[in-house]
Amino acid sequence: MRPSSRPWLAKWIVVGIFLLPLLFIGLKTYITLTVSGLAMGMLFFLVASGFSLIFGFLSVLNLAHGALFAWGAYIGFTSFSLINRWTGWGGSESFLLNMAIFLSALIFSGLLVGLLGILTERLVIRPVYGSHLFQIFITVGAMIVLEELIRVVWGPDDEVMPVPLKFIGSLDLFDVVLSKYPLVAIGLGSAIYLAIHLILKKTRIGTIVRAGVENPEMVQVMGHNIYRYFTGVFAVGSALAAIGGGMWATFVKSIHPAMGGEVIVFALIVAIIGGLGSMTGSVIGALMVGLSYNYVAYLVPKGALGITMLLLVVILLVRPTGLFPEGT
Amino acid sequence: MGEPILHVEGVHAFIGKHHILQGVSFEAREGQITVLLGRNGAGKTTSLRTIMGLVPPSQGSIRFKGEAIARLKPFEIARKGIGFVPEDRGLFNLLTVEENFRVAMLREDEMTRKRLEMIFEIFPDLQRFWKAKAGILSGGQKQMLAIARPLINPNELLLVDEPSKGLAPIVVEHLIEALHKLQAHTVVILVEQNFYMASRLGTHFYLFDDGRTVHRGPMEELLHDEEMKKKYLGISKTSSGGIQE
Amino acid sequence: MKERGLTPVQAFRTRERKGRFTAPSFFLRILLLAFLGATPFLFRSFELTDVILKIIIFSTLVASYDILLGYTGIVSLGHVLYFGIGSYFVGIFMGRLGWVSYGPLLLAFALAVLTSGILSILIGFFSLRIRAIFFAMVTLAFMEFAFILASQLRTITGGDDGISFKLPGILSVEANFGRFGGIDLTGRIVSYYFILVVCFALFLMMLRFVNSPLGRVLLSIRDNEQRSIAIGYKTYLYQVMASTFSSCVAAITGGCFAIWVRYVSPESSLSVPIMLDVLLMVIVGGMGTLYGGILGAAFLMTTRAFLPKIQGIVTSLLPGMPWAIRFSERWLLFFGLLFILIVYFFPKGILGTVQERFERKRET
Repeated sequence: MRPSSRPWLAKWIVVGIFLLPLLFIGLKTYITLTVSGLAMGMLFFLVASGFSLIFGFLSVLNLAHGALFAWGAYIGFTSFSLINRWTGWGGSESFLLNMAIFLSALIFSGLLVGLLGILTERLVIRPVYGSHLFQIFITVGAMIVLEELIRVVWGPDDEVMPVPLKFIGSLDLFDVVLSKYPLVAIGLGSAIYLAIHLILKKTRIGTIVRAGVENPEMVQVMGHNIYRYFTGVFAVGSALAAIGGGMWATFVKSIHPAMGGEVIVFALIVAIIGGLGSMTGSVIGALMVGLSYNYVAYLVPKGALGITMLLLVVILLVRPTGLFPEGT
Repeated sequence: MGEPILHVEGVHAFIGKHHILQGVSFEAREGQITVLLGRNGAGKTTSLRTIMGLVPPSQGSIRFKGEAIARLKPFEIARKGIGFVPEDRGLFNLLTVEENFRVAMLREDEMTRKRLEMIFEIFPDLQRFWKAKAGILSGGQKQMLAIARPLINPNELLLVDEPSKGLAPIVVEHLIEALHKLQAHTVVILVEQNFYMASRLGTHFYLFDDGRTVHRGPMEELLHDEEMKKKYLGISKTSSGGIQE
Repeated sequence: MKERGLTPVQAFRTRERKGRFTAPSFFLRILLLAFLGATPFLFRSFELTDVILKIIIFSTLVASYDILLGYTGIVSLGHVLYFGIGSYFVGIFMGRLGWVSYGPLLLAFALAVLTSGILSILIGFFSLRIRAIFFAMVTLAFMEFAFILASQLRTITGGDDGISFKLPGILSVEANFGRFGGIDLTGRIVSYYFILVVCFALFLMMLRFVNSPLGRVLLSIRDNEQRSIAIGYKTYLYQVMASTFSSCVAAITGGCFAIWVRYVSPESSLSVPIMLDVLLMVIVGGMGTLYGGILGAAFLMTTRAFLPKIQGIVTSLLPGMPWAIRFSERWLLFFGLLFILIVYFFPKGILGTVQERFERKRET
């Protein structure tokens, strides 16, 4: 078996992804692409991290994660529209008000989908703890149900996602074009990552969760009701997916009921590359995929997906368990 | 020496379709270190796991301080005051020694601090490696951590499963010393294959065979009963007087 | 040399073999075959024949998946990849390249089988190195990748729109051999029987495969891989064999599908929803029982064909609230719920659970 810790490999690949494109792309374009790549990475991180955390802690494969992502986008859409109708902040000239409505919509979406997650965990996941196969089966069913419910509540058509006024367009900084929204996404994504990181490392609950990723049985033996933690982590993971959904929708400016399916494959790949159960892995993996996708999309438009698959294959050959071990 | 702190009576347990425990009965009393002995697969580890609630008993009763705990969940049983040190130690290797204790702590108060001092007295290495990741500790230190961890809570019963496994003899000596010192603070039930360790530490023993408890008594009894040792433990004295397993 | 008769294993197998032709299940199967053979004549409606044929094709596909999942215990979420390869080879040869005659058709099948086999060996290489659950996700990723590839390479694959094509000679729509038994014997009917025969042959092959000593080894690997390795089987080799065999079968079914619908596109042959369908069918029908595939396929195809109709009736009876109408329109929703319930109560699939009950009764 391979040695389990070679962080230098990850660093080299990340560095490579960052620096190699400079050989082919002009600096200014490079910066633009890097920004959108980082933003895309952040969005992938939000979705992948929830999935990875749920797998790492509960040892559950939740294929319905994409559907929760879609629900997040839709609830975000509705709450944004509602709040905007009420306050008009979405169209305001003030960046702060734009931010306020955006964040409110996201937080609301996160909370509601978190609740939805709790429901899903209790009804659908609990019965199939321990069997990955049945988890695949039943979460597929849940995914169908959740996706269909979107069609019931909102209708089967695509919708246009409204974007706060100040997020549209781009800045021109020393001749470098920087789209505004990706910057927001990067900022928000980083803030969320930091928050999760701090919670996991510094709080008691976070420490217990990290312990549970390694050995859930032992955590129980120490007197903690691990089932409550399971539900909690599932809710948080779902909330993350929801926030990712809302932010993704704002990024591509549209939503449709099947949007979960498109993103879940990327989230899966990111989670595998980064290492299931590792937050750091999710971030690094997501950034790698996001960046490489954007660089290659510019150079060879149809090759963008190819580079993602290539990355997956390379990582699987070199480190089948992913770049970072569980629990980091 | 009054009532036993733990009373296990007629317990049966299945793992999947395998009938592992087929009528197990034993007790543990204050001031004693009770050792469970027997061949591999005799049901010793499963007994500990059943007490801890990790394996549901299909029959029989388990009473801790007079209270029936057989149907409780593991975390509830742990909160009643029972600590468990599994065979594989169950350490959180990616967490530091300190964090391992943090997970184990059920409350954070004066008493916990005092207990930590006691733990540091018996296991000074843990203080030295307080901020180190548990995974980098040596085998012996890991075992110390595994045993010390549940002690941060006022557990009155400690279940320890094969602590000497894979440890060098001198480390085993350390372990024996440490466990001796523990005797004053908590009742210990020990599962051990290493007869030397078992005989040094144990005050009372129970012999397991094929999922049943077949014999019991004070340790001195077993020390000289060559026939029983050979029959149930596969230990025999060679003609030169040494012990061979 | 055995002087005293057969070994226990041989005795068991002889007993098994004797029972084969007299068991009630054997007659059921003959009946089923007769039914399928007579279908175009029994059901004059094309729509019904279409449903039945789709059931035939998908039963075979699901059975091939069952060899992977139910017999060898390999969880793959990208099996439909091979189905797509089969479809696309036929589609490209008949459509894009325009070689509309029997030779190229056979060549298409042969190449599809070869490609699938090689691909599955390569992908199988991964399974050695990663945990089962990662493998499942990786196969899903690969299938998605193929899907996107098919959508992008317009010149070869016709992109998202796919390729429509004609079939050669007796299979083509124009062919007509006059009336018989009340229907026109068109190329469609010929295709139906062609596909029926091919799928029947495949099914027999699969049955042979799982009941052979090789098949037994696979079962032992599924149940306890460590033990099998300990006994001395190179489990990896057997797993690769099973997966290659099953992928080749899948490729052929894909080709058959393309022949029937005379159309291939990423959506119709390579998409994740089809993989989900296969998954649903194998669960509903039962894993580890090839016949479960027939049950599952029948269930899914008929529900798919008829539920919307029933639901159309229900909708027309309901009051005019948009929510209520939309709710009843979403038959897939009920299907999903039904599916979840089936997984709860019949974890081994309907056929599997029934089989288990029978076996338990037999033992008591």
